[in-house]
Amino acid sequence: MVTASDTAAPILETRDLTISFGGLVAVNGVDLRLARSEVMCIIGPNGAGKSTLFNLISGIYRPTRGQVLFDGQDITGKPVHRIAAIGIARTFQSSRLFNDLTLLDNVLIGMHTRTRSGVLDALLRPGRARAELDAAAERAEAILHGLSPALHARRNTLAGALPQADRRRLEIARALASEPKVIMLDEPSSGMDDRDTDALIGDVRRVMAEKPGLSFLIIEHDMRLVATLPDRVTVIDYGSKIAEGDYADIRVMPRVQEAYLGQRAANA
Amino acid sequence: MSATEELRASARPSPLRSLATVIAVELAAAVLLRLFLLSDDTAVIVALLALMGAGFALLQIRPAIEDAIVAAFGEARLAALLLGGIIVLAYPFFLNGSSYALHLLIIAQLYAVLALALNFQLGSANIPNFATGASYGIGAYTSALLAIHFGISFWLALPVAALVATVFGFLLGFPSMRTKESYLALVTIAFGIVIHQLLNNFSWTGGPNGLVGIPAPILFGHSFARPLEVFGHRLPSQANFYYLSAALVALSILSARRLHDSRVGLAWNALRADELAARCQGINVVWYKMLAFGVDAFLAAFAGTVYAFYVSYISPDNFTFIVSVTIMTMVIVGGMDNTLGVILGAFLLTLLPEKLRIFSDYRLLFVSVVVILFLVLRPQGLFQQRARHYGGK
Repeated sequence: MVTASDTAAPILETRDLTISFGGLVAVNGVDLRLARSEVMCIIGPNGAGKSTLFNLISGIYRPTRGQVLFDGQDITGKPVHRIAAIGIARTFQSSRLFNDLTLLDNVLIGMHTRTRSGVLDALLRPGRARAELDAAAERAEAILHGLSPALHARRNTLAGALPQADRRRLEIARALASEPKVIMLDEPSSGMDDRDTDALIGDVRRVMAEKPGLSFLIIEHDMRLVATLPDRVTVIDYGSKIAEGDYADIRVMPRVQEAYLGQRAANA
Repeated sequence: MSATEELRASARPSPLRSLATVIAVELAAAVLLRLFLLSDDTAVIVALLALMGAGFALLQIRPAIEDAIVAAFGEARLAALLLGGIIVLAYPFFLNGSSYALHLLIIAQLYAVLALALNFQLGSANIPNFATGASYGIGAYTSALLAIHFGISFWLALPVAALVATVFGFLLGFPSMRTKESYLALVTIAFGIVIHQLLNNFSWTGGPNGLVGIPAPILFGHSFARPLEVFGHRLPSQANFYYLSAALVALSILSARRLHDSRVGLAWNALRADELAARCQGINVVWYKMLAFGVDAFLAAFAGTVYAFYVSYISPDNFTFIVSVTIMTMVIVGGMDNTLGVILGAFLLTLLPEKLRIFSDYRLLFVSVVVILFLVLRPQGLFQQRARHYGGK
């Protein structure tokens, strides 16, 4: 049953999220609230702590202070695989595919938390384990095909041979395969030309239309993407959140211009 | 029909040609192995090696040939299995009653099991475990002690020893999870040495003298120490253990295939390629690594048990660090995560040092040179990992 609080409560929330490495505070007291179905972009200069924020949410780093809540539950300090299993999927800035495996295997591994068979099933009940994997493979093919028929045509080739834009696409397919509630994309357009970026925007739009409940958290530099996709934009500089709101409002804020262009340019 | 499907259909060989390819390859392999086993002439052995080297050089230059053979075996799968089974069953009858050749085959098959066991770690998950020899020893000692002191039969000792070794495997796996790569390798080396030292120093393991008088297995009243009579043919007593170890190889192949083509095999491959990315897909990396240690120990203990009951005398020196290194070499030479390749690697590295006696003092040097040559010339091993196929496609 859907109650008012279900829709109002954020799916992902960080409270005072902070991590310091030695003397350097990489992420400093960040409060985020990502609503269901919301698309939020995180922007900020290089080294602002955006990727560190993702690593904190996905459990790769343990915060020095603060909390991460998923669907109202505290998930701070949980192991990475648990956080993935409860429904937070992600991609990486420098795409991390399983290069020596086929495209289809990559997506299938993304379904790890949605399949059950263990060692004993594989050894003693091979028919059942096989059937489960075959069914998963069918879903994996559908996901690949839905994202890009060209990618689907190459499903039995090795991921390591893919060009950059397709690597990003495959990473998104792998993330979608886990049927997440939140998907975090770390600079999906990096290394792409304009044409590829347009295609990427199209891909994300299509996924948004197909999975209406899915929330997006996207780190991005490409302003065309930031201008078109998100409901809200959060700006991070030196580890702290300095602004949040509509792209149109954000871009004219002096603090944001200062962060991006430097002190002098903002004063000029 | 799309263009790619048409292309594939035209590349698919005719059933008859596939069958002919399968028969030719399997018979050629059987005949060459027989020549190899029965020859005492170093020149013949070297010539056979050169022939094999040339074969693999050809595959390296013309990968299409390898693809064609793989496709043929895929097409005529049942025939390949059937013929392979018949060859294995009939093989002892064509060895001129040589018990030495059978002995070599038994040892090669046991090493094939060990290499397949290690492949779950090294090949599938890239865990450098230098303690497979220790698991082999734990299996051998457990079953031997059970048989000598409690009169427990081989058939019961076999699974019990495997379970004991698996527990030790998990015990090793647990502290290993705090380390990675070279450090993990060091932990496993230490574990292997500790086991060797314990076997050497406990009084109840017989110390350096080991255990003697392990009784031969008995099946339906037939003792494995007696010659095997089939259809009026008399095979040396080694034939019993030949068939036993062949069955063990078959079991290992079956397990390897099933695990490779499963969610578990996928998870192992994921953490081999990129551990952090694997964790982000929800894979519990610690559990899957420990699982690999457990499966490795389980199969290695099977091999150890058969070995103990075959030679009826074991000592700590059968299960040294060098044994583990040899097993590792077999996996590297054969090809990571390719069942056939790993078995071929095991056969080559068991039989070659035996046949090339001139090298017998330089066994370790030989193994090292082989590893270096392979890592430089053919880093993927003799055969590469094959792609998985789903839905019967």
